[in-house]
Amino acid sequence: MGERMNGLIPPVVFGVAFLAVWELAVVGFGIQEFLLPKPSSILEAIGADWSVLSEAAIQTGIIAVSGLVIGVVIGALLALLVTRFGRIGEAATPLAVALNATPIVALAPIFNAWFGITSFRSNQAVVVAVVFFPVFINTARGLLEVHPDQLELMRSYAAGEWSILRRVKIPNALPFFLTSLRLAAPLSVIAAIVAEYFGGPQNRLGPVITQNASVARYDSAWAAIVMASILGLVLFWLAAALERLVPWTQTGGEG
Amino acid sequence: MMGEVTPAVTVDGVDMVFNAGSENEVVALREIDVTVQRGEFVSLIGPSGCGKSTMLRVIGDLLQPTAGSVEVFGQAASSARQNRSYGMAFQSAGLFDWRKVAANIELPLEIGGWSKPDREARSREMLKLVRLEDFADHYPWQLSGGMQQRVAIARALSFQPDLLLMDEPFGALDEMTREYMQSELLRIYSELGTTVIFVTHSIPEAVYLSNRVVVLSPRPGRIHAVVDIDLGPPVESTDSAKADEIRERESFFEMTTQVRAALRSVEAGTPGRAGSPGVADG
Amino acid sequence: MRRALSVLGGIGTLIVLWEGYKAVGGLTGDQWPATPWGLPVPTDDLTMPHVIDIMRTLGRPVQRGRDEILAVFLFKAALSTFWKAALGFALGTVIGWSLAVLMLRSRLVERGLLPWINISQTVPLIALAPIVVTWGRTTFLSDSLSVALIATYLTFFPVAVNALRGLQSPRPADLELLRSYAATEREILMKLRLPASRPYLFPALKLAATLSVVGAIVGEISAGVRGGLGRAILEFASRYSTAPARLYAGVVGAALLGLAVFGLVSLVERSAGRGAGRSLAGEGT
Repeated sequence: MGERMNGLIPPVVFGVAFLAVWELAVVGFGIQEFLLPKPSSILEAIGADWSVLSEAAIQTGIIAVSGLVIGVVIGALLALLVTRFGRIGEAATPLAVALNATPIVALAPIFNAWFGITSFRSNQAVVVAVVFFPVFINTARGLLEVHPDQLELMRSYAAGEWSILRRVKIPNALPFFLTSLRLAAPLSVIAAIVAEYFGGPQNRLGPVITQNASVARYDSAWAAIVMASILGLVLFWLAAALERLVPWTQTGGEG
Repeated sequence: MMGEVTPAVTVDGVDMVFNAGSENEVVALREIDVTVQRGEFVSLIGPSGCGKSTMLRVIGDLLQPTAGSVEVFGQAASSARQNRSYGMAFQSAGLFDWRKVAANIELPLEIGGWSKPDREARSREMLKLVRLEDFADHYPWQLSGGMQQRVAIARALSFQPDLLLMDEPFGALDEMTREYMQSELLRIYSELGTTVIFVTHSIPEAVYLSNRVVVLSPRPGRIHAVVDIDLGPPVESTDSAKADEIRERESFFEMTTQVRAALRSVEAGTPGRAGSPGVADG
Repeated sequence: MRRALSVLGGIGTLIVLWEGYKAVGGLTGDQWPATPWGLPVPTDDLTMPHVIDIMRTLGRPVQRGRDEILAVFLFKAALSTFWKAALGFALGTVIGWSLAVLMLRSRLVERGLLPWINISQTVPLIALAPIVVTWGRTTFLSDSLSVALIATYLTFFPVAVNALRGLQSPRPADLELLRSYAATEREILMKLRLPASRPYLFPALKLAATLSVVGAIVGEISAGVRGGLGRAILEFASRYSTAPARLYAGVVGAALLGLAVFGLVSLVERSAGRGAGRSLAGEGT
């Protein structure tokens, strides 16, 4: 426990120093608040706008989490399918790479056309598309990168395909999958906020940021950004905690 | 005994060619004939690239030979595999990270459709055999290399396979652990009386463990010589320190010298002195 | 060759799926066959234009009265976005490397900084886009430079994290060997750590390259910078009801730009040395 506390000291010192320099720089150089608000003003704005911000964070959180869940399920299932049938894999893998190289944000207007510009499903679809790729690639890797000895062993037991999948490939892929979840969790929040720029209901963090920025209330805009970061961090930590639950690795799967 | 009628393994005229017809064609095995009797312990030894691991995999039906046939207890290798006649162990213990030690040992039983109480009883028995009773609930990463290898052996033996195929199982262990594991394997072998085919590149290991040592030559893999091992009367003790007495016997040095001479003549390209090439009946 | 074929096969499959879905929806009135459940996306030509219409629109003028056809317009827009992305990519790579070397040099800096570099990626950088552009306008930066800065923010992270991992990847025995030759830290960096980091670096650079395009497009959208793909997509989206195929063409253009920069980095990787820089993601397939 003491060691863990020691590990926290450097980042906390760095963080506090960073905030202090920020605060002092804004005050010392007389930087105007509309360019860069002081950390203390942002904190005040969070307090002042709390009801709006917390509601917006919850709404954005719902989109992010639901999109995350759908994207993770699709990514994992497709990875299972693709690794099971090599032929599909050959055709689907370059497509998945292409999809990953596509700026998913560019899909937002199309999703608006599909699901309606005020529907939250179009925002959800952006999150799904963003989350899908890391989950798909990592899970597929975990399913494929089984130690050859272990596969030979299973064959020597005359184990069937299904048995190999259930007993070897899926458990082997689990740490990879959980790593991808940790990568995807904060992405889901970012994707939700970007999607909100293009449409959807207005009581969300994305619109709160843009609206406040457009009327030069930068402290409030920053306050919403801080809320979004906290949301992303919470999801990140939840995913990381899930990863650490895996009992058979020393560190909680490295991927 | 039936053993005189059907040997444990009959390898008859086996060729193994990889990438046949293409420019990177490799002839891994050529005209291999081997017979292994029931209860025999046979080692395959040879320089790297001589196809000894390939031969083990052909016998285990993990590779299909290009020509020739393999029979295991009178049936084709493929039906022997379907009937779960094989126990296998590799250089990497190949334990499943996500299964505790006991669950690793139970895996082949699970696939074989054993009931849960039977599996648990057997894994306890096996853990006792390899002297790891206290580690049933540990994950593999919590065990040392030698302990992991003992679990792998317990797993390979758990369903009492007729034939144990081992591919350099002690290759990654340090010398002390290695000798200890060899004694342990001999103890288990003499308790169970299984047939073992054992791939190694260590001369003392082959001599210490085997009834017969098959020396292979590389590119293409052929049987170069067969050395019958006779180390004198066995040590009647389960204490592995006492069993080490064998390693100091005169006969042990004689036998290692013979195997070494056979291996040297592989490199020199002359036929082996001990035994005659191609004939390997016990 | 084989790969090119499978890519073509993939694209073909996608087109067949698209048109097939449209055909099914057309037959059943946008319902799953033989069920009362509606399809998730309506299949009319406004929501899902035919592939052939999307291709045709590429050959048509962008606007009435202008000679320029859409394909040329999109190409120019992609080029404009490319330069912003490239600048952001270059800056991000330099910053990422500098941070990695800094963290390599000092364990304390690594322990203090790395968690914050990780946290930086939970900050919705894109939310910063309008603010960055406002900053730029009050100082000397052109809007294009502001857009490049947004791309930088996205780019530095994968480079920093993977470069650090790569620089730390040599085995202790290798490090000890070089120390036994009395090599300086600088020599160890150049002769051991740098070559060792290659397999880590190129996947990160590929990711960074595609992210720089994402950053540039999002930046263009929030900044309202003319001339780039982001702005084009925004405009096409606003006139979607009259010309839906154009938006799809714009999005395909963005996808192609993303693929192009990905391919560009892959080419550099290949020329930088075969085998040594194998991507981890590509193994085992």
